[in-house]
Amino acid sequence: MNIFLEIIVYGAVQSSIYALLAMGFCLIFGVANIVNLAHTALYMIGAYLIYTFFSVLQLNLAMAILLSVVSVALLATGMYRFCIRPVMVSEWSVLMITISLAMFFQQLMIFVYGPADRNVEGFIGKKLTLFGAVDIDAQRLLTLGVSLVLLVLLWLFIYRTRMGKAILAVAQDREAALFMGINSERVYLTVIAISAVLAAVAGAFIAPTIGARPEMWAPTLGKIFAVVVLGGIGSLEGTILAALLIGYLEVVISFSISSYFGEIVSVVVILLMLSFRPSGLLGKRIEA
Amino acid sequence: MPEQGNRSIFSGERVGLLIALAVLSAVPLFIENRAIVEIIILANIYAVYVASWDILCGYTGQVSFGHALFVGGGAYTAALLNFYFKFPPWMTIFFGGGVAALFGLIIGTPCLRLRGPYFALATFAAAAFPYGLTDVFWEVTGGLDGLYGIAPIWPTLMGKYYFSVLLTAVCCGLVYLGGRSKKGLILKSIREDEVAAMASGVNTTAYKLTTFVISGFLAGVAGAFYSHNQLHVGPETLSINLSILVIIMSVVGGIGTITGPIAGAYLLTIFNEMMREWEEVRLLIYTAAVVLILLFVPKGVLPTLSDGIKQWIKRKGG
Repeated sequence: MNIFLEIIVYGAVQSSIYALLAMGFCLIFGVANIVNLAHTALYMIGAYLIYTFFSVLQLNLAMAILLSVVSVALLATGMYRFCIRPVMVSEWSVLMITISLAMFFQQLMIFVYGPADRNVEGFIGKKLTLFGAVDIDAQRLLTLGVSLVLLVLLWLFIYRTRMGKAILAVAQDREAALFMGINSERVYLTVIAISAVLAAVAGAFIAPTIGARPEMWAPTLGKIFAVVVLGGIGSLEGTILAALLIGYLEVVISFSISSYFGEIVSVVVILLMLSFRPSGLLGKRIEA
Repeated sequence: MPEQGNRSIFSGERVGLLIALAVLSAVPLFIENRAIVEIIILANIYAVYVASWDILCGYTGQVSFGHALFVGGGAYTAALLNFYFKFPPWMTIFFGGGVAALFGLIIGTPCLRLRGPYFALATFAAAAFPYGLTDVFWEVTGGLDGLYGIAPIWPTLMGKYYFSVLLTAVCCGLVYLGGRSKKGLILKSIREDEVAAMASGVNTTAYKLTTFVISGFLAGVAGAFYSHNQLHVGPETLSINLSILVIIMSVVGGIGTITGPIAGAYLLTIFNEMMREWEEVRLLIYTAAVVLILLFVPKGVLPTLSDGIKQWIKRKGG
């Protein structure tokens, strides 16, 4: 019973982080057709910045989070403006440049902070006992709560605001949107900034639990890809569902078999989905 | 992507290649320094990694982010067979290639139905899987330390060197001839317009899968050679860093030209060794350079240089 509850809570936290990251990844891909392989590098940078601002510089929590998130958003828009946009004509060049940027950021973090893990103290230090049975750090629950709030906000932004409508329009048909007077460049920048904010928040809130490591981006990128493939590109509901499935599968298998098999769940999911249903669970059909 | 047009600045590309081979063969006769010879052996091995990547990715346009899967697959197969069953190196090398080719078949079948980013990310994810396996089965594979005490390919440095030259000449030669043949042309047609190629009656999936398997085989052979050369095998042969290094070498050399990426492999391996002095910033400079190259010299450094020289000669002559 105890383990069962633990799985429920840990799975929810894991899934919420994957949902935050995969949403951002999906959003850029669906709207701007950019496969941003540096997306999880932004998540890593988010983790390192919270370490810098919160643990090293001892700023207060809200300030530290705000600074980290804004810096990552600025970095991402700069990256788009100076590195991605010039090569956007070729899908292939975008892949290459974003993976090179991810590697560059990894090396930069090693250069600045050294190769060892950096630990961040919890935002709220307590351990809570849930349902009288499960011990869990309050940090994990906080992460879960913040992710849920952000996902709801994102949903409201996309479906309830003017800018959201513009984003949907550009995603559907860029030229038609252009004819309707929508500035697609501004839409792209907005989407990039939003996805960077989501990644930075994920990184900042997970940092106290797993620490900041220079190579943390690569395995996460694989998992995000699994979520995206499972959910289907361009389907926000599918992405959430897929994040839940992958998150829980991972936690269940880690608990019951071994953490390594938890890690490779995503690879198996990717290969199976691509073989049998490349459009994803809820995605529209793609020409794969 | 680079076009067929950027041939070498020499009128006969093949003459140039033969000269390069001759220079390569003469190296240990003139260079006494063991360390330099070892570096060139390493460059020879990397040349095979890169050539086998280029025939798949440069020619068919399927960018694989998981080449280390083949290299590491070959390296571990050879090392395990040699370590536990005492297979001689000349046998393990072929087994290494065979296992890597099998990986190509297993991974290629689902992945090659995909295009562009899907393919790239699927190979990226697939390559992560055996890396973790080495850790799970650490009793067999030696975990993160790997296995030490693999038999050398040849006891003397000279013999080892010539074996590596032979490996490079055969593997790169195969890729080169294959690329310049009619089959190579078909692969390029897949890159340029897969639908048009299909419409012309080309079974594009079969072509891509065959190329994947061949690419895997060659990379596996080179990986196996690598473990017999280092007398050691470790998970770094399976790491994502290796996959990306291979891509970087090809980008610098000019993707899709076979000779370009091979030259890139030599250039960067040597550059890499020269930078050992600045160990802490080496990879930082390296990755920054790649971003800049992709932005400002998208055709690749070597093709751009050779074009520049060609134009310079033309201006001088005219």
